[in-house]
Amino acid sequence: MKTRDQEYRELFMAEALEYYDSMSRHLSELERNPNAGPALNELFRLMHNLKANARAMGFTDLGEIAHHLETIFGLIRDKEREFSGALIKVVFAGVDALGSMIRAVGASQPLPDATALLENLDRVVRGEAPVLDEAEAGETEEESNRKMELSDLVYIQVKKLDNLLNLVGELVIDRDRIMTLAQELDNPALLATAQHLFRISDDLQYSVMDARLVGVGVLLNKFPRVVRDVASAEDKEVELTLSGQDVQIDRNILQIITDALLHLVRNAVSHGLETTENRLKAGKPVVGKLTLSAMTERDDVLLQVRDDGRGIDTEAVRRKAVERGLTTAHTAAGLDKEAVWAFLFEPGFSMAQKVTDISGRGVGLDVVKLALDSLGGQLRVDSEMGVGTTFTLVLPTSIAVKGALLVEVDERPYAIPLMHTDTVLALHPGQISVVGGVMVTHLHEQSVPLVPLRQLLYDEGVEPLPAANKSDIEGTQHVLVVNYNNRRLGLVVDRFMRQQNIVIKPLSKPLDTIDLFGGVTLLGSGQVCLVLDVPALTRLFLAKRP
Amino acid sequence: MAEIDTAFSSAKPERAKPAELVQLIVFRLGDEDYGIRIEQVKEVTVTPDVARMPKTPPFIKGIANLRGDIIAIIDLEERFNLRPAGRPLPERSYTVAVEAADYTLGLMVREVPRPLTMPLSQIEAAPEFVQDSSTRDKYLEGIAKLPEGGIIIVLDMRKLLTPSEVMRLPGKVASS
Amino acid sequence: MNKRILIVDDSFYMRTMLKNMLTDAGYEVVGEAANGAQALEMATSTEPDLITLDVILPDNTGLDVLKNLRQIQPSAKVVMCSAVGQEIIVNEAIENGALAYIVKPFSEEKVLEIVGAALQNGASEQTA
Repeated sequence: MKTRDQEYRELFMAEALEYYDSMSRHLSELERNPNAGPALNELFRLMHNLKANARAMGFTDLGEIAHHLETIFGLIRDKEREFSGALIKVVFAGVDALGSMIRAVGASQPLPDATALLENLDRVVRGEAPVLDEAEAGETEEESNRKMELSDLVYIQVKKLDNLLNLVGELVIDRDRIMTLAQELDNPALLATAQHLFRISDDLQYSVMDARLVGVGVLLNKFPRVVRDVASAEDKEVELTLSGQDVQIDRNILQIITDALLHLVRNAVSHGLETTENRLKAGKPVVGKLTLSAMTERDDVLLQVRDDGRGIDTEAVRRKAVERGLTTAHTAAGLDKEAVWAFLFEPGFSMAQKVTDISGRGVGLDVVKLALDSLGGQLRVDSEMGVGTTFTLVLPTSIAVKGALLVEVDERPYAIPLMHTDTVLALHPGQISVVGGVMVTHLHEQSVPLVPLRQLLYDEGVEPLPAANKSDIEGTQHVLVVNYNNRRLGLVVDRFMRQQNIVIKPLSKPLDTIDLFGGVTLLGSGQVCLVLDVPALTRLFLAKRP
Repeated sequence: MAEIDTAFSSAKPERAKPAELVQLIVFRLGDEDYGIRIEQVKEVTVTPDVARMPKTPPFIKGIANLRGDIIAIIDLEERFNLRPAGRPLPERSYTVAVEAADYTLGLMVREVPRPLTMPLSQIEAAPEFVQDSSTRDKYLEGIAKLPEGGIIIVLDMRKLLTPSEVMRLPGKVASS
Repeated sequence: MNKRILIVDDSFYMRTMLKNMLTDAGYEVVGEAANGAQALEMATSTEPDLITLDVILPDNTGLDVLKNLRQIQPSAKVVMCSAVGQEIIVNEAIENGALAYIVKPFSEEKVLEIVGAALQNGASEQTA
C-alpha cells in the first residue's frame, strides 16, 4: 500500500524533474537572449515552486539553492544584475546542483554537500564576485553527458480519462454496427476485419478501464480522521480497522460512493455503536470496533462497513414502516427481516430518535441507496441484535458497460438496466384486473401494479395519472416488470426490442436535473436512446398513482 | 469555427484599432433576423435525429447526438412565441450549437444561418423601454442596423442559456 | 453543508498537499486550478466559499488573478499562499481584498487555522 508520504515523494519527484527540464530549457534561451522576459519569469516561478516544495519535503539545502536562484532571477528581471560573466557560471552550477540533488532524492541517496555553492550564490546575491575554481567547469561537462531522465509517471486529469472512456464507448457502438453490417453483407474479408476490430476495441476498452482504476485506499485512508471526529463528538471510543486498500476500482465510482460511505460510517459510530455505558451493561468491551474493508468478488468490488454495536432492531423498523404508511400492518407482519431492513433505505426513513449533529442532517440511509442506484450497484445488510451490523456495498469495478433491455414506446427506444429488470410478460386483457384505478396482474402470487410507460413519461404535471379502465385494455399488453428495493412495478410498453450491452453517457447540463433518466446511450443505428432510471420511475409512479 | 480567446487575460496589448469588428452568425426566427456573436457559436449543422425528452418544457425539442455530445435542442420560435400560427416547422432545419458556461445547446433554426461581419459600433444597446416589453428582449445584447436597411436582433447567449432559463417550466413561459 | 474550497497553485505537489489537508478536515475541494485563466473559469463555475491563491502563477501573477476574482466572485473569500520572499506582493494582495496569508511550507494546523478563521470571520486580516 502506498502511504501518503510515498505519494508526496513521488509527486515531488515528478514535478521536480519537470521543473529541472524546464529550467535547462529556459537557461539556454537566456544564453541566447539575456533579457528574455518570459524565460526570466518562468525561471523565477520554477525556482519559487521548487523552493516551496523542497522545504515542505524537508530538503533544506535544495530549498536554499532554489531560494537563492529565485532571488538572482528576480534581480536580473528587475535589471539589478546582468545575466553575464561569472554570474552565469554560478547559476549553471546552481541548476546542476539542483539536478544532482533531485536525482539523489529519487534514488533515496543522501543529498550532496552544497556549502561552497551556497556561499557563491550568497556572494552573487550581495553583488560580490563569486569564487570559481576549475573543478566546477569539469562537472558541467559531466552533466551534459549524463543521459536525460524523465519520470515514469504521468499525471492525467480525470476529465481526460473520462473523455477517453467516452470515445472508446462510441467506438464500441460503431464497432457493433460494423459487425452487424458485416454479417448482413456476408463478405468473408469484411467479416474477418470486423472481428479483428472487435478484439482490438475490446482490448482498448479494457486498457482504458484499467487506466482509470485506483486503490480503494485513497478513500479508506480518509476515514481514521472522520471516525475520530465523530467518536469524540459522540463521546465514544472506537477502534477502526482498515483492510483491502489495494483493491482496485474505477476512480469515478469511488467518487460517487464517497458520501454514501461517509454516511454509513457516521451512522455506524453514532447509531450502530452503543454508548460506553450501554456497552458495559451489555458486557461488551468499552472500545467499539468498526471495520472498513474492501474485497473483490468476481467482477465486483465489495465495500464493507462492519460494527460490533447493537444491531438493527427489526421489530422497531417494522413498526415504524407501518406508522409511516410504507406498508400495511398485515403485510408487515409477514415480511422477513431482509424485507423489513429494506425500509431503512426509503427516502426520509430515519430510526434516529433525535437529530444529532453527526448523522441526523435530514438525510437517511436513502442517500446510500441513491448512490448505489446511480451506479447500478447493490446493498446487502446483515445484522444481529446485540452483536452488530454489516453493510456491504456491491459495486461494479468499472462504469463503462451495462447490460440493458431495450423497449419501444411511440417508435422511440428506451433502455432499462438489467440490474433492475425482473421479467417480461405478454398479458391478455383477462389477466389484468383494475383495482382502485390501477391495473394489476398477479405474478408468483404477488400482485404487481402496471402502468403504461407512455403515461409515466409524458403526462405532465403533478396530478395523479388517469384511472385505468378495464374496457380500455385491448390486445396483448407487453409488460416489463422492474424491481427496486423489493418493490415491483410493471411497465407497459409498445414492444420489446432486444437485450444488449450499452455504454451510458451521463446527461449533460441543464438536462441532468431530470432524474427519470440515468443517462443516454447511442444505438448501433446512431439513434439516441434514453436510459430509464428505475428507482426514479418507481418513485414517480408512487407519487402519481391514481 | 474560429477559436477566440475568451479567457480573462488582464494584459492585452493596446493597439489603436480603426474600428472594432464583430462577427455574427445570423439566422431567421419568425419573420425577423437574429444574430449571435460567433465566439458563442460552436458549429452549425443540419439538425440531427432528435429524441423527444419527457419532463421538459415544450420549446425543448429533445436531445440529439452532435459528434458524440448529447445536447438539448431548443426551438426559440416557440420559446419566444415568434412562430406565426399555422406555420409548421420545415422538414429540414438547421442547428446552431452554442456554448454556455459548461455545456452546449442547439438552437433550431429554419434557414441556413450565415456569417456577417460588422463594426461593433453598428450594434446599438437595446433601449431601456424595450428591456421588459417581452420575454425575448431580456436576452438582447442590442440591435444592429444594416446600412442597406433592415435590422438584426443580437442575442446574448450567456443570459439565455443559464440552466434556470433553459429549464423554465412550460406554464411560466406561456404566461410571460 | 461542507464549505467549498477552490485551490489555485501551479504546483501539483502543493495542490495535492493542500487538498489532502483540507479534505481530511472535512472541507470540500471543488476544484484545482493551475493557472489564472483556469482559476477564473473554475471560480465562476464552482462558486466556492473560499479560494487559496498562489501569488506566483504561470500566465498571470496571482495579484492580477486576485483582482479579477474579486470582480467576478466578490463573495468568495481569498487566502493567499506564498513561499517566503514575496511579502511585497502579499501586502498588496491584502490591500486588494485577500483575507489572509499562508506561508509555504505550511503545517496542517496553520492551514486549517487560517482557512477556518477566514471562512468564519471574513473581515479580520491575519497572517501566519
